Amino acid sequence: MTESCHATTRGLPAEEDGGRVVALVGTSNVGKSTLFNSLCGARQSIGNWPGTTVEVARADWRPPSSARTDRPLRLLDLPGTASLAPVSPDEELTRDLLVEAPPGSRPDVVVAVVDAAHLARSLYLVAQLRERSQRLVVAVTMADVAARRGLGVDADALARAVAVPVVVVDPRRRDSSSCLGGAVLEAMARPAPAPRTRAATDLDPDDPFAEDDERFGWVQQVLEAAVEHRGDGGPTWTDRIDRVVTAPVLGPLVFLAVMWAVFQVTTAVAAPLQDALDGLVSGPVTAGASALLGLLGLGGSAIEGFVLDGLIAGVGMLLTFVPLMALMFGLLAVLESSGYLARAAVVTDRTMRAVGLPGRAFLPLVVGFGCNVPAISATRVLPDSRQRLLTSMLVPFTGCSARLAVFALVGATFFGPNAGTVVFGMYLASILLVVGVGLLLRGTLWRTLGADPLVIDLPPYHLPLPRQVALVTWSRVRAFLHTAGGIIVVTVAAVWVLSAVPAPGASGSVGEVPVEDSLYAASAETLAPVFAPAGFGDWHATSALMVGFVAKEAVISSWAQTYATEEPTDTATPGALGDAVQADFAASSGGHTTAAVLAFLVFLLAYTPCVATLAALRREVGTRWMLTSVGLSLSVAWLLAVAVFQVGRLIA
Amino acid sequence: MTLHQAPVGTAVTVVDISAHPRAQRLAEVGLRPGALVAVLRRTSGDGRLLGLGPARMAVDRTTATALLVAPATVPTS
Repeated sequence: MTESCHATTRGLPAEEDGGRVVALVGTSNVGKSTLFNSLCGARQSIGNWPGTTVEVARADWRPPSSARTDRPLRLLDLPGTASLAPVSPDEELTRDLLVEAPPGSRPDVVVAVVDAAHLARSLYLVAQLRERSQRLVVAVTMADVAARRGLGVDADALARAVAVPVVVVDPRRRDSSSCLGGAVLEAMARPAPAPRTRAATDLDPDDPFAEDDERFGWVQQVLEAAVEHRGDGGPTWTDRIDRVVTAPVLGPLVFLAVMWAVFQVTTAVAAPLQDALDGLVSGPVTAGASALLGLLGLGGSAIEGFVLDGLIAGVGMLLTFVPLMALMFGLLAVLESSGYLARAAVVTDRTMRAVGLPGRAFLPLVVGFGCNVPAISATRVLPDSRQRLLTSMLVPFTGCSARLAVFALVGATFFGPNAGTVVFGMYLASILLVVGVGLLLRGTLWRTLGADPLVIDLPPYHLPLPRQVALVTWSRVRAFLHTAGGIIVVTVAAVWVLSAVPAPGASGSVGEVPVEDSLYAASAETLAPVFAPAGFGDWHATSALMVGFVAKEAVISSWAQTYATEEPTDTATPGALGDAVQADFAASSGGHTTAAVLAFLVFLLAYTPCVATLAALRREVGTRWMLTSVGLSLSVAWLLAVAVFQVGRLIA
Repeated sequence: MTLHQAPVGTAVTVVDISAHPRAQRLAEVGLRPGALVAVLRRTSGDGRLLGLGPARMAVDRTTATALLVAPATVPTS
């Protein structure tokens, strides 16, 4: 299949070839992903479609009725779309795979998921799909919700009206796999059905809505044939809740309360779990490995140092992100499947639009103030890949809690009792940076983005299914470890190697060298002049920034190491480190210490937060955009730091 | 009148959507000329919460001011 090899978005990639592919499609909120999860469970892999930043879940599916010897079906959960005329890159992917792809690279069977309670809205896509020769099965979800509202959907009548097999599924029950599987296998064995006859006589070439009118006419006919109204269900719980949740004053209050909860869970709840894992790795695991290496006769060697302080420390750092990411993914799944996320988009839309961002970008940015890593993953709440990309570029500018510790120490060292004001100022600067860089990017790279007025479907509220939430969380954590693991472990190990190897000309052997004679110090010294225009062109400060690129948590301990002093136990009393740092800043800034310190803080705030954030970026938006983010952060940080120092020098 | 001017709690019929930048998508999701729409509530940000049959939809102020509607004779549920 040579056509599909060069343009992966226009058809199924090579890995899907040979097998039989089934694609789930549907409007948003019809329960498509819930159905996918109940069919495939934990066997799924969630990841970006090749060559895009659009997420598609894939899994092997073996319907109970299929023969044991058959290869499993390849099931794809395609991005939700209301129609085949795309308005976002995500919807475009669905269209590309179903329509634009050469016939051999399209899915063998398309399963259109429709919501029984909102059949009119779901059937428009079916009308379009039936305009081409395509094996199609309609899966009806939410029949129970429809029944409660006095709507009965007659599956047989629906099948006759649409002229394709119709299956009523309940993702909460296990037997949906066999029902749907049987229908899919049967459809596969038959030739593709002929396209539906269109009422072509009504089509007026000058009327842009003529095609839509024809489709709606067809939808109305189908509805009349298949839906029975058994009276009005009266006002629903959803309506009662929405009276509060989307209201002008109460809505934003509810939203802030939800954001507060999300922030608490990703900081206060996650922290003890992270500490426990960190303690486990740096304590028993390291001690065990050390004992093992001692038995092998490697105790005290450079190899021991590399294994303990390089590899195990790297794996430990990666593991501390697991509880945090699991909580974040779980929260996202709950917010999304409950239906609240759509309401949050309504409430935040106007405020965020004023600064040029979509309403839903609020959530990842709030999470970013706790930790940037889950915040990057939280950009998944945005339905448009361009919006996800823009927000991913802004998240690193939110001042995470690891940066707070450094701000506090530097603040206490140089500003004494005014440290609190300085830290507050950094948070303010962080918000200004997000807005400023956002406007800058909107004015350059994403000029056309966000002009779309908000029109959003509000699904009925649902209680999230614990099994579904657990499934999605587990799949995403696994995918995160898979992509992020390499980057994090390799970087931590590389820093160890740099600090263990003596610089050319320095005395000492590998693993025995004092910090100031290591390759690491030598690189910091080489890099230091870059920061001279910002007033902190000193190798100690530069080396602290280098460590900060890996993890902001390590900045203070490593900074202390470069002076061979103890790490201060309390950030409010910087002690010996404070004295040493003060002397160096005074020297490197030519006496304009305050300006240089403020420039240093601004740099610390704006440059790349940590290697784990980069790993998360690589997973969400790919290597190219991850590097773009590094370039953007470093340039913004350097330019601002230089500006702060140069202006500050003139004033003070 | 525009959808934005339509009193909350009334039912309206959509007359014209062509002033909206995403008119095509509006038509696809059911906000099309002739559609019966219940104006249920004002939302935060001065948008409107709409009822299209059993479905609920929120539109922002820009959308509400771009759609032309007429009072409907059928009472809302």
